[in-house]
Amino acid sequence: MSQSAMGIGAAHAAGTEASPYGIPSKKLAMWLFITADAATFGAMLFAYGYLRIANPDWTRPFGFWPTIVNGIVMTVVLLTSSLTMVAAVAAAQSGRVSASVRWLGATILLGIAFAALHLREWLAMIGDGWRLFQNPMGGSPLFGAAFFGITGLHLLHVICGVVVIGAITIGFRRGRFDAGHVETTALYWHFVDLVWMFVFPLVYLMNVR
Amino acid sequence: MTAIASHRGPTMKLYVVVWIGLILIVGLEVFLTYEHLPAGTLLACLLGLALVEAGLGVMYFMHLKYERPALFWSLIPYLVFALVMMDHFWPDALRLMRQRMPGP
Repeated sequence: MSQSAMGIGAAHAAGTEASPYGIPSKKLAMWLFITADAATFGAMLFAYGYLRIANPDWTRPFGFWPTIVNGIVMTVVLLTSSLTMVAAVAAAQSGRVSASVRWLGATILLGIAFAALHLREWLAMIGDGWRLFQNPMGGSPLFGAAFFGITGLHLLHVICGVVVIGAITIGFRRGRFDAGHVETTALYWHFVDLVWMFVFPLVYLMNVR
Repeated sequence: MTAIASHRGPTMKLYVVVWIGLILIVGLEVFLTYEHLPAGTLLACLLGLALVEAGLGVMYFMHLKYERPALFWSLIPYLVFALVMMDHFWPDALRLMRQRMPGP
């Protein structure tokens, strides 16, 4: 074998070296993205916490009805969407394409329901006079910035997730994507769910009247 | 499917148990909110429960429990360190706000 051919062979071997974590590169990339994004949400929640401590006139506007009940329903919807997502991954990994597509469709519907409930709540608050830097209850105007900033970033993640799951569903059904793609997308969706597990108690329950 | 994709993981029954557990924790959070606890105690309880929920989600729904331990040790300590450092530096931002020169 010539020297150049041996060089190409060695480079090829290096390129197909086993993953140190035993997972595909796209899954590792998603884990790295999730870690960075968790730090972003962490920064926002810390900022919110310190804003709250620094403002003695912090507003606590949320009543049990409708806000907290709406928040509970949104939480259950999002948790259920995680369950349908793991069912989709399990079906995809066992080669049951149509079952996986059905579970992915259920996840999309639950994601849309969450976004619709969230937007309905936002519109009700905007109707009551809440803005990014305007507090109709007369307390700190930073409440609106913190609330709309944190929940808005989360809602953006939900909407992006719904779009991506839709694209993955179509690709998986047509055979363009495999079960690994479904699993990687599921990681993102579960992360969006987990972020809400912090947003709901800290931004909603801690601001109950 | 890729050769290194793993099929190890929990059964659907375990997923449903985790899902029920997560919903019960949310119910407990709402219950505690209306128990008129001091704000600090309530915050500690809610954060603790949220961490339990996150742990269940990451370990079971996201399968981290079933991956190689190297993945856990490469990601989670880094994230905890970053969050602790944020908690360390944010109070400094408040101190700087108080040191601001008065306007003309």
